[in-house]
Order: sequence, then structure tokens, then C-alpha cells
Amino acid sequence: MGIKTADAVVIGAGVIGSSIAFRLAEQGRKVVLVEKAGPGAGASGSCDKAIFLQSKRPGIHMELALASRRMYDTLEAELEADLELKNDGGMVAIETPEHLDFMRDFVRKQRDAGIAVELLDGNEARRRQPCLSPHVLGASFSPDDAEVNPLALNTALFRAAARHGAQTMTHCEVTGIRASAGRVTAVETRRGSISTPLVINAAGPFAGQVGQLAGVHVPVKPRRGTILISEAVEPMVNGSMLCAQYIAAKHLAAVGSGNVPPYGIGLSLGQTESGNLLIGGSREFAGFEKASGPDVMAAIAGHAIRIVPALAKIRIIRSMTGFRPYTGDGLPIIDRAPELGGYVIAAGHEGDGIALAPITGILVRDLVDGKTGPFLHALTVNRFAVPIPA
Amino acid sequence: MNNPTICRCEDVTLRQLEDCLAAGGTEVSLREVKLQTRAGMGICQGRTCLPLLAALVDSTGRGLPQDAGLVRNQPVRPLVLADLARFASNGGGEATRCSG
Ligand SMILES: Cc1cc2nc3c(=O)[nH]c(=O)nc-3n(C[C@H](O)[C@H](O)[C@H](O)COP(=O)(O)OP(=O)(O)OC[C@H]3O[C@@H](n4cnc5c(N)ncnc54)[C@H](O)[C@@H]3O)c2cc1C
Ligand code: FES
Repeated sequence: MGIKTADAVVIGAGVIGSSIAFRLAEQGRKVVLVEKAGPGAGASGSCDKAIFLQSKRPGIHMELALASRRMYDTLEAELEADLELKNDGGMVAIETPEHLDFMRDFVRKQRDAGIAVELLDGNEARRRQPCLSPHVLGASFSPDDAEVNPLALNTALFRAAARHGAQTMTHCEVTGIRASAGRVTAVETRRGSISTPLVINAAGPFAGQVGQLAGVHVPVKPRRGTILISEAVEPMVNGSMLCAQYIAAKHLAAVGSGNVPPYGIGLSLGQTESGNLLIGGSREFAGFEKASGPDVMAAIAGHAIRIVPALAKIRIIRSMTGFRPYTGDGLPIIDRAPELGGYVIAAGHEGDGIALAPITGILVRDLVDGKTGPFLHALTVNRFAVPIPA
Repeated sequence: MNNPTICRCEDVTLRQLEDCLAAGGTEVSLREVKLQTRAGMGICQGRTCLPLLAALVDSTGRGLPQDAGLVRNQPVRPLVLADLARFASNGGGEATRCSG
């Protein structure tokens, strides 16, 4: 085990760490990407495939998602890979008059912010999405929402990083960070130490623990999500679908009114190229406890069947549980740690890491190059002056 | 037949698996192979192809010494969604009614 040296060590090879390693290596930096398991072992391998714009709050959240969405237009060519990118639009199904009022207002604000989104009545919604239940009152629809295969994305970013010269170390856990005079000097791994002036914590839901290795406070906690996966069936869902119940709960909770449904249940529905349906989902705080019980799965199934009755007869072959890296305000942290020189945090993308992976690589590259901008200003770690709400 | 299908449920051939295995330099887990090729993700959930997959990974000499293999995520046997929904204890009543 000789002494390794690097210009930068990236910790975590999910979509975020892989995207960062790719962008830094592309500039000719000597990068080592260290991953405890393999690419896709974390949230990036246990998630849905939506690049949703219309669920975002107008403002920085929306602008970030839009900027990242645009990068997808050239990403397949840049990565020389098929990401199963589909521009097939997304829909939010509305079941109650209260949610209809909420969504009417939400859609108006989004249109003002420049998003192509329209409110369809029940019949129009069913024309576009015939599987919707007759009781669905309407839906918002945006042609700009898209889908990507997250596993293909993770693998392609990882391989592109390697192609540009990044050294990848998988099945290799980072166990410590060495510092001297307030600056990072080396990263300790299970396979020896790597001398480096720069370390990037891209450990997603584990970013808090990886922060602790260096005494850096990273306010990210795991938010568990379960998805049911069906056998392959004939095409039945056009694009991606969410339900207004969850969008309303999420945005009303953010302004302190409304309550989140049990287990944070909200529909997410999509179909893979192979025909499997991804039926979600839950949002719970349960530490890193992997198994979510039959109650959660039953609640997901019942909620989905109510909105799309044809699902009742479809066979589920497995479930998938992942941990979203949660910060509390729906936005990631992309910043230098105030406690330690040469330590960058790039984590906390919660339910949007797939959508935001392309822009995150660019923002970290900019940060490392000493550039600033409105996005980096909004994504600092010290915006959490108070502890994140439970 | 020099390119046999290894995972019949997901239609993954030997060549696809070999390509996947050739890509990395370090150790590789069955889970990585599954995530990258879809082998083992079919309706039989790897009951048919898992032994072949494990042998293939081993034959590269890069298999992990203690690979837990493919963790079976419940349910272990295909179940229709309506039956699953009936599991609901009356907790939130979420499975049957819209709470609004
Ligand atoms: C159910 C569910 C549905 C979702 N749906 C969507 C969606 O439709 N669209 C969307 O945009 N996003 C979605 N997300 C969110 C998305 O999955 C995450 O935001 C994203 O995957 C986070 O990527 P990451 O690279 O930051 O984290 P991860 O993918 O978790 O990667 C972190 C990596 O760090 C590694 N690591 C941890 N500790 C160490 C250590 N000490 N040393 C070395 N390596 C370490 C881990 O092994 C892991 O591979 C969903 C998430 C879930 C759970
Ligand atoms: S043969 Fe591979 S999953 Fe069934």
C-alpha cells in the first residue's frame, strides 16, 4: 500500500459524488473517488426516476431544478451513455376540492415563474392518463417533467469520472480525516491513506456521520422511503405521476399549516422501460432502520389503488427502501465547512438528488475554483442557524 | 449459442454480464452486478439465476469474500396489490379513505 496523493478525494459514489468526481476529473484534477460499497449502494440505487419541476416551490428551488434539467439535454452525449432519458411529462392527480383550490393557486405561481404547467379537469386528465380513477377531480400537467434511469445515471457518471482519470476505490470505507493547522491533509480509508488538500463529503444520507470523522457539523438526516415494484406489465402509465395530497401537505407544512398524512404517504407512480411499475411512497424518520413494516406497504398500496384502480390486480415482486438525505428546507448543502479548511460538503438533496445531480457537479467545481453565484449563496451550511425540525 | 441468457426473467445475457464485470478494477458485489444489469431483478427474484451470477462473479477473482448476495426485499412471493392493501391495520385509515 504505497502512499497515494490526490488533488481531491470525493467520499461517496452515489449520483452526487460521481457527478462531482466527473466534473473535477474533467478539468484535469487528480481525483480519487472512495465508496464504502458500490455505486448505487445508497439512495441513488433505491429511488424513483423522476425529474420533477412542477413540484418545486417557485424561487431558488425551482431555478436550481430548471438549470439542472437543462443540463440533461446534453448529458447523454457528454457521458457517452444511454440514460433512458424520456421527456414524457408529469402529472399531479387531485382528489378533493380543497386540494383543487391549493393546486390552482400553486399552478398559477408556477406559471408566473415561467414553468409550462396547466390545470386539467377530470376528463382531460383521464384522456392523458386513462388509468386515473373516475373520482379524480383534475390534475396539473407539465410537459417539462422528465424521467431518467437513476441506476444508469449513477453508473454512467461513475464510469465517466474513471474515463477522465479519476481513480475509483469501491468497497473501501473512509474511516478518518487528518488535518493540520486547521486544514485537511489526508483521508484515511480501509485500504490506506490518501494525502490530499481537499475532501468532498458526498455521502448523501450518511453525510452527518462522515462529517463527524472530521468534527464537521453536517445537518443531514435520513428520511426513509419505500417503493413497491411490480412485475413487468403492458404500458399503463404515461410519464410520472404524483398526488396533490402530498404536494399540499409538504408545502402547507412548510408554512406551518396542514398536516402530513400517516407515514408521509403520497403517490409516486412511474413505469420503467422494462415495464415494471414503481409505486410509492412513504417519507418517515426512522434512523437507518431498513425494514419498513407491512403497515407502510399496505398504506402505499391502498393509496395507489384509490387513485389508479387498475393497480389492484397487479402483482408486486419486491419492495425497495432507501434513505433520502434530508436537510429540512428541501435544498442541499453545497459549501465549504466553516470548521475546517479544505473540507467541502455536497449533500442533502432529499427527494431531488437524481434531478439535481448534473448541476451539483458544476456547482462544486465552481466552489472549488473559488467562484460564487446565487445558487452557492443559497446553499450554504450556515443557513441552518437553528437545529433542523424533526 | 456462445452468448447464453443467464437471467431469463430479465433477459440478461452472459456477454452483458461479462461486460459489466470487465468495467471495474476492484472487488465487485452481486448487488452491483444486479443494479447495473438488472439480472436477478425479475419476477423470480433471482431464484433461477442467482447461483449462476454468484459463480460468474467468483470466476473473475474479484468477488467479495463475504458477499451477502442479493438481499431479498419483501414480499418474497408475488402478491397482488389489493391483497397487500388489506394488511392495513386501521391506523390512519389511509388505505381505504382519503383523509383530505
Ligand atoms: C424512495 C425514494 C424515491 C426517490 N425518488 C426520487 C426521484 O424520483 N427523483 C429524484 O430526483 N430523487 C429521488 N430520490 C432522491 C435521490 O435518491 C437522492 O437525493 C440521491 O440519490 C442522493 O444521492 P447521493 O449521491 O447524495 O447519496 P447516495 O446515493 O446515498 O450516496 C452516498 C454514498 O456514500 C457512501 N458512503 C457512506 N459513508 C461512506 C464512507 N464512510 N466512506 C465511503 N463511502 C461512504 C454510501 O455507500 C453511498 O453509496 C428518491 C429517494 C428515495 C429514498
Ligand atoms: S432468472 Fe433472473 S430474476 Fe428470474
